[in-house]
Amino acid sequence: MTIEREQLEADVLIVGAGPAGLSCALHLANLIKKHNSSGGKPELSAENIYVLEKGRELGAHQLSGAIMNPKALAELVPGFEKNAPLDTPVTDSAALIFTQKSSYRVPITPPPFNNAGNYVISLSKLVKWLGGIVESAGVNIFKEFGGADLIYEGDGVAGVITEDKGLDKNGKPKANFTPGYELHAKVTVLAEGPRGSLTKQLVAKKKLDNINPQIYGLGIKELWEVQPGKIKPGYVAHTLGWPLSTKTYGGGWIYGLSNNRVSIGLVIALEYQDPLFDPHAAFQTWKTHPFLRNILDGGRLVRYGAKTLPYGGWYAMPRSYVDGGLIVGDSGSFLDSQRLKGVHLAMKSGMLAAETIFEALKSGDPSAKTLQLYKDKIDHSYIKRELWKVRNFHQSFRNGLLDGFVLSAFQEVTGGHGLTDPMRTHPGYEAYGQIHGRPAPERFKGDGKLTFDRLTDVYHSGTRHEEDQPCHLKVSDLNICSTRCVEDYGNPCQYFCPAAVYEMVKESAGQKLKINFANCVHCKTCDIADPYQIIDWTVPEGGGGPNYEGM
Amino acid sequence: MKILVVTEQRQGKWNNTSFETLVAAQRIAEAASGTVSAVVIGKGVSSLAEELAAKNLVEVLLVDNDLLENYTPDGYAVALKQVIEAAKPDLVLFPHTYQVRDFAPKLAAMLGKGMVGDCIGFRNEGGKLVFIRQMFQGKTAADVTFTGAAPWFASFQSGAFRADLLAPRASGRAPVNPAKVELSANDIRTKPLELFKEAKSAVDLTQAPLIVAVGRGIKAPENIAQAEALAKVIGGELAASRPICDEGWLPMERQIGSSGQTVAPKLYLALGISGAIQHVVGMKGSRTVVAVNKDQNAPIFEIADYGVVADIFEIMPALTEELQKVR
Amino acid sequence: MNIIVCVKQVPAKDAPLAIAGNWIKESDIGFEMNEPDSYALEEGLRLKEKHGGEVIALSLGPERVKQTIKEALAKGADRGIHICDDNFAQLDPLGSAKVLAAAIAREKCDLVLTGLQSDDHGFGQTGVLLAGLLNLTHATIIMQIDVLDGKMKLKRELEAGWFQWVECPLPAVLSIQSGINKVRYATLKGIMAAKKKEIATITKDSLSVTIEPTQKIERIYVPTKTKKTEFLTGTPKEVAAKLVEKLRFEARVI
Repeated sequence: MTIEREQLEADVLIVGAGPAGLSCALHLANLIKKHNSSGGKPELSAENIYVLEKGRELGAHQLSGAIMNPKALAELVPGFEKNAPLDTPVTDSAALIFTQKSSYRVPITPPPFNNAGNYVISLSKLVKWLGGIVESAGVNIFKEFGGADLIYEGDGVAGVITEDKGLDKNGKPKANFTPGYELHAKVTVLAEGPRGSLTKQLVAKKKLDNINPQIYGLGIKELWEVQPGKIKPGYVAHTLGWPLSTKTYGGGWIYGLSNNRVSIGLVIALEYQDPLFDPHAAFQTWKTHPFLRNILDGGRLVRYGAKTLPYGGWYAMPRSYVDGGLIVGDSGSFLDSQRLKGVHLAMKSGMLAAETIFEALKSGDPSAKTLQLYKDKIDHSYIKRELWKVRNFHQSFRNGLLDGFVLSAFQEVTGGHGLTDPMRTHPGYEAYGQIHGRPAPERFKGDGKLTFDRLTDVYHSGTRHEEDQPCHLKVSDLNICSTRCVEDYGNPCQYFCPAAVYEMVKESAGQKLKINFANCVHCKTCDIADPYQIIDWTVPEGGGGPNYEGM
Repeated sequence: MKILVVTEQRQGKWNNTSFETLVAAQRIAEAASGTVSAVVIGKGVSSLAEELAAKNLVEVLLVDNDLLENYTPDGYAVALKQVIEAAKPDLVLFPHTYQVRDFAPKLAAMLGKGMVGDCIGFRNEGGKLVFIRQMFQGKTAADVTFTGAAPWFASFQSGAFRADLLAPRASGRAPVNPAKVELSANDIRTKPLELFKEAKSAVDLTQAPLIVAVGRGIKAPENIAQAEALAKVIGGELAASRPICDEGWLPMERQIGSSGQTVAPKLYLALGISGAIQHVVGMKGSRTVVAVNKDQNAPIFEIADYGVVADIFEIMPALTEELQKVR
Repeated sequence: MNIIVCVKQVPAKDAPLAIAGNWIKESDIGFEMNEPDSYALEEGLRLKEKHGGEVIALSLGPERVKQTIKEALAKGADRGIHICDDNFAQLDPLGSAKVLAAAIAREKCDLVLTGLQSDDHGFGQTGVLLAGLLNLTHATIIMQIDVLDGKMKLKRELEAGWFQWVECPLPAVLSIQSGINKVRYATLKGIMAAKKKEIATITKDSLSVTIEPTQKIERIYVPTKTKKTEFLTGTPKEVAAKLVEKLRFEARVI
């Protein structure tokens, strides 16, 4: 079906209103304001900055623990302490080792887990607040609009096509059919978060890959309201050990918030060997540890969410600039996997992108020649200083925790070099071993009070989608699911998706894949962890997805 | 306490929820030492008034007027305002019907009063009447009290009381008294035209008093016919949990749950439904829930009044047969 | 036609509700336009497209409701009116109708549209009360509006699959049935244009409305299950017989 699309022009188009995208928008708007007021030519306008956000509201799709290093925010919004919705400063940083029955607090908290000077925040609230400032600065933020396709031009990009709205589940236009827009921009900034769908396309098409493939972790989070006195606000603990084996890279977090709330979660690297491993079940099991049971007893689940994060670090960072395009934030691998800090790096990358774009707008040249300045800025900023030190960190753990500790200790004393530099790695989905006839595990049911099954948890994510629309999860060959995957890997999508989207249902002639797309929480795990790489996460009709507001 | 119930009829036929409201009135009268009267309004409806005279009421008021033959909001409001001013009840009760929603709040406002609508029950707390209604689409209940002097106006949700429990008069008949109202054609600004029935493309499950719902346990679209037969014999509507509608085995309008309809029928028969929270939030307001499921640990049993741990393919035909017998 | 559409901002449908007395804690949750009102807005926009005139989005509540008015502007409403009141969740139906009516009375309008009821309070009375207070004709549960020579022919929905045509003069107040139309998406141009459209802010006090509460929500609560499940056992035939008996004589639902 050929669709007539309305065309619009912007100076700058930012896909994603997360910390990176919004920092880019705000910093650029501020630069433009100063430029105009000092008579700079050509005159620029913050109104020509468009930000697309697929969520229903700013912050709706933002999920993180989260602990934030305030250094980037201090630069972007001086005096932020007065107005920013920071929940509580970190008061105590603990590293805990869990065994099945007990827990040990490491006597001296290792430096990566020491969070003194940082804040426990709700990333969603922070983003919503920041978005308000961005809008007051004149930038156009379009909620409920996603970037569905890139407009390619020359060696780079010239804009984005937004998603079609009002198609029924068979792809036929409904009465309120509204085609996506062709948004042209001098510079397009991809700020889509981990495993951005446009970023994935661009990296593949323009061969922007680095020497290592990106590795991702899946973080599953619950927000609880607990009995008074169970947890201190600002108490920050990271746990290692039970229930994860030493071969599985991952750990838990417990962050005490104000008002008797606690943020808990488990992050697991999506490079585990057992395709039948269920991260959601592991998370629920982790909660039954006496340490957690004690905190959660008598409390109630308030919210649930899940999202991936990029562990790959410096050597997995794609080339971040092309003609007319820049990549910022999690889409560009700006996350310190050792310290588990990405918010300030995302914001800083957005700000450096803004400075680069500012030069391009002034000179009128948004080609890679100008935009290359972005890479230079990154290399001379604390982004590189921080990420360079841990450039081999995640890779050290590919043979298990013990190896990892040894190798990373070497890296610690050699500025990140360690025994091998660069340490190479393989894509996470190549780690699966075949199941060789192993039967499917019994699905985790939960007790309904402390632990929950997936569907109950998904309900608490507030996720909803327009039901009558095409399925946004594109599987290129469903036959593989019913024939090869069923034999080789036992259809791991049923286990790794934290939102109960995928299930294999029995049919007369074997099994068939059923996709409950309306449950999707936009975490991108399926796109990342599917062993055949046949799942393509595409953007659904804007407004759909989880509701992490206030979380 | 004097309670006046405004009953509803159309073209000489009762809207049966009127009887539920009469029962509500009788209950309140018991709790608050009151009396119950009723008003019948329309044209040529004296036989309906006579029918009510056999119930345990102290009086039946008959408003019979040419201009009230067809319902209009103006006609009913102007007429009933006069009836209420003359009868001076403390509490005026209505069934919460589409028609009542159309005029009753305004009627109350004309008398300077407010209306507590769509109540699901009441309580007598030390002499004060507390009306219970739902808020947040049934997620919470609310206790509401009236402020200020009588008359107070309230309507009750269909199914909140059982019409068959309307007590008859022990002896004799209640007086049927004509209530005179001054009504002119100029008072009535809208003109009702023809009534018609439409093969509704959309089914409104929220209005169905009896619902038979199927879930995953139905296994295949061909099996839905069995549930349909059961729904037919019971006089109920067919509904489903989301997976069934997702597959296209039943249209989306029949979906019950957080992404479908929220219903509160008299009877909800859940066949092969596990009871995931997404479904339960759409039906837990049902008065009586019967669940049939093979899995004794299915969460649906937590909210069921009657549970059957069995194969739905054995229960459905047995139940259909049994219901045929008592039809 | 000059049309005023009353749009209410309500807690997002999926927001976790934390009860506080007779209302909910408003922190940490999202808000959205009351879904039934979005159908009323859509109907208003369609009437404007057909007959000309303007659509005004009117809302009552704290500062945050401006967001909902902006959404209405982004979809095509021409201007907005925000009656500012931080405490509006405590107003009973007659109280909020009085405030809205006072603001509406200041405008010259042909038609006032509301949704059938709100997803939070669910009173379902606003439209009817507005008509009474403004002394306008009204009709509710409207499925279709045809305008001809200063008069309307309306299709009203009744129970059990029945409908009725009603002739109604203008000006009037109509409560629109949900699902009568397919609500349009806000366009990018619409969102940008909305930034330049006027939202007049008036305080509740400036409307000089005397409000006497007629009812009070004492408290709200999650209804606790008092029922205990009775399991029926036996052969299918036995179970069926037992169940039918229970339903007929114990539960009395059939």
